[in-house]
Amino acid sequence: MPIIEVNHFTTRRLQILDPSGVVDEQLMPDLGDEALVGLLCSMLRMRTFDEKALNLQRQGRIGTFGSLRGQEAAQAGLTLNLIDEDWLVPSIREQGVLEGRGLPMHLYYSFCKGDERASQIPDGLNATPQSIPIASQLLHAAGLGMALKLRNEEAAAVGFAGDGATSEGDFHEALNFAGVFGAQTLFYIQNNGWAISVPFSQQTAAETIAQKAFAYGFEGMQVDGNDVLAVYVASRDALDHVRSGKGPYLIEALTYRMESHTTADDHTRYRPAAEVEAWRARDPISRMRTFLSRQGLWDEQQEAELVAKVSAEVEAEVEALEAMPRPPATDIFDYMFAELPATLIEQRQQLIAESRNGK
Amino acid sequence: MAFDFRLPDVGEGLHEGTLVEWLVAVGEDVALDQPFARIETDKAVVDLPAPRAARVTQLHFSPGDLIEVGQVMISFSGDAPATRDGPAADAAAAPTGNGTSDSAAPARPPSVAALEDSDPRSFLATPHTRALARKLGVALAQVRPSGRGGRITDEDVERAAQQPVAATRPTTATPAAPSAVTAPPRAVPQVIGEEREERQPLSHLRRVIANAMAHSKRTAAHVTHVDEADVTDLLAIQKRACQHIETKGGPKLTLLPYFIKAAASALIDHPLLNASYDEDAQEIVYKHHRHIGVAVDTADGLVVPVIRHADQKDLLTIASELADIAERARRRQLTLDELKGATFTLSSLGPLGGAFATPIIHHPELAIVGLHAIKDRPAVVDGQVLPRKTMFISCSYDHRIIDGAVAARFMHDFLEMVQKPDLLMLRL
Repeated sequence: MPIIEVNHFTTRRLQILDPSGVVDEQLMPDLGDEALVGLLCSMLRMRTFDEKALNLQRQGRIGTFGSLRGQEAAQAGLTLNLIDEDWLVPSIREQGVLEGRGLPMHLYYSFCKGDERASQIPDGLNATPQSIPIASQLLHAAGLGMALKLRNEEAAAVGFAGDGATSEGDFHEALNFAGVFGAQTLFYIQNNGWAISVPFSQQTAAETIAQKAFAYGFEGMQVDGNDVLAVYVASRDALDHVRSGKGPYLIEALTYRMESHTTADDHTRYRPAAEVEAWRARDPISRMRTFLSRQGLWDEQQEAELVAKVSAEVEAEVEALEAMPRPPATDIFDYMFAELPATLIEQRQQLIAESRNGK
Repeated sequence: MAFDFRLPDVGEGLHEGTLVEWLVAVGEDVALDQPFARIETDKAVVDLPAPRAARVTQLHFSPGDLIEVGQVMISFSGDAPATRDGPAADAAAAPTGNGTSDSAAPARPPSVAALEDSDPRSFLATPHTRALARKLGVALAQVRPSGRGGRITDEDVERAAQQPVAATRPTTATPAAPSAVTAPPRAVPQVIGEEREERQPLSHLRRVIANAMAHSKRTAAHVTHVDEADVTDLLAIQKRACQHIETKGGPKLTLLPYFIKAAASALIDHPLLNASYDEDAQEIVYKHHRHIGVAVDTADGLVVPVIRHADQKDLLTIASELADIAERARRRQLTLDELKGATFTLSSLGPLGGAFATPIIHHPELAIVGLHAIKDRPAVVDGQVLPRKTMFISCSYDHRIIDGAVAARFMHDFLEMVQKPDLLMLRL
């Protein structure tokens, strides 16, 4: 029996808007001026909320927080394609998507205060709570994608993860399950180069994360995650594919985490400064700003007005955050188990005895 | 309304941070989210932004100080604090929750009734200690904490249980102690039993000094060379120059700039005394610059700011820098960088300097000079005994690297410039 080539895969990477702000006219999506400007505005919003969170943390008003700085395009380009029926299954750095889909940011900030109520997603927003354990949420996304298929709904479950999550067993189980059962799931991997202090070069021997999808029987592609137009086009096509029941899809958005992993980390101890600077030159916001300015669609005054408007919204959200009544301390026991184990019942009672607030 | 800013947990589970520098001064206005201080923690160096627009009224620490999470580090006057969770959100109880608290409100309730009503969670204690306190009938408010960060320990509770104050324990309360009923308990002088001593934890600066001194004494082979210098001529020159400069509004010119200049000049010819010893590599590290550390006595303890490139600066520049350093040391605004990088150190206590002493080398430098008190002493000049202004100058050096003759030759040249200012002038 001769050796035959069983199959052959090609991994594609899409870029439309290059770091200097020049677009590939052939690939340019059919978006009106308003939508193009909207993409920049949504990225600027994300960055403004993000910068405030860092200040709140440094002021002791919230706890640990992970900045999304640098990943705005990877989140804004996707968000524009989302519809109310889709399900969002976030990891810990998806505040941009959540904000874009209407999560009040004081709830996000309160999550960073350890407030359990932050995981109570408001009605009308299909999202699961942020998942701190790495990659566990991808199984939930696979399951939700299965449910959408069984119910014959034209919607997608979007499971978010980073490059580090792809080394977890849950990632592979989720992809395999979704592939086998044709789940309506988009696996949206933001490869930001670093899993805390582990560089992507030590994460996998494979050249891309996108190619891992082929092993599970469906398609994956890479996209320049700092190019909001490429992200928009790639996720639009992927979501169409998933919602129409053609099976799961994987997008690997190549981006970079400009800040430390969280406020409990110092990236300068393990990342070369030159690498960070090189990525600063590929900033997702500045390249879109350059493009829109050249088109005559954006100027400094518009940006100043937008930032002032968003800053006022940010301050209002901070006020709402600090007006939230203090949560009962017993919250730490009340949402994990349907039936509390005896040892925890005892601890809960002890807490109530020692804390007037523990009702 | 005024408010205090307490050091928050800017990492995750941090207990303390070292102040790197203040980015503001007292009296300065800060905008919302404007950075006002730089803090180094186990995790990183971070800027702390102001929680609202306000004016700085007090800086409670100096650069280099270790600040515990929850300690008030800076005070502001300005708007009322942003909406808070209510009185339960005392930053002392929940340092990660709110970095700010009203300084206008009394720190502790004024009466025992209020004490009994006060929120027990505003005192730091483990559940075990709280249980012990309940068992012994001790109100946490009555306990003087001795634990880290103001934490109440089991021992504190037990000690409090043995105290006769006990206004909150009706069974043992006595009407004979009315002052204890009305006074805030923390204001009562703590004479506990027959104890005649008290313990004070070392400040961060004291710890740094203690470690540095002990390390130097353990490793360097100290030898101290002492010589007497006749500074009559130098004093005369300095006095004239001083009067001249002060009429022109210049900086205060003490003798110290002359000694710094003389030492820096002598070090050019004696590079080994300006070197350091790399113990790990067993190599002598010669420095092509002469940065003179000047040991300064401050209210907080000894600090050694550095006059950089002293050999290339004129006396006026050195005098201005010294004045600036002294002023900023007083205002606690010296940065850590200014305290690093000396290649040689001068220690002077001025008129308090005594006859002589044996200074400890400022590790990893190899030598230090101590300047002692100038006094009228009889001296022989051209065969005649005359009253002269003289002083002893000591030089401790590390005999592992520097032999006695090498140090003696340096001291000879250094003293010659001090005694004969016309020779010093050749270096200006």
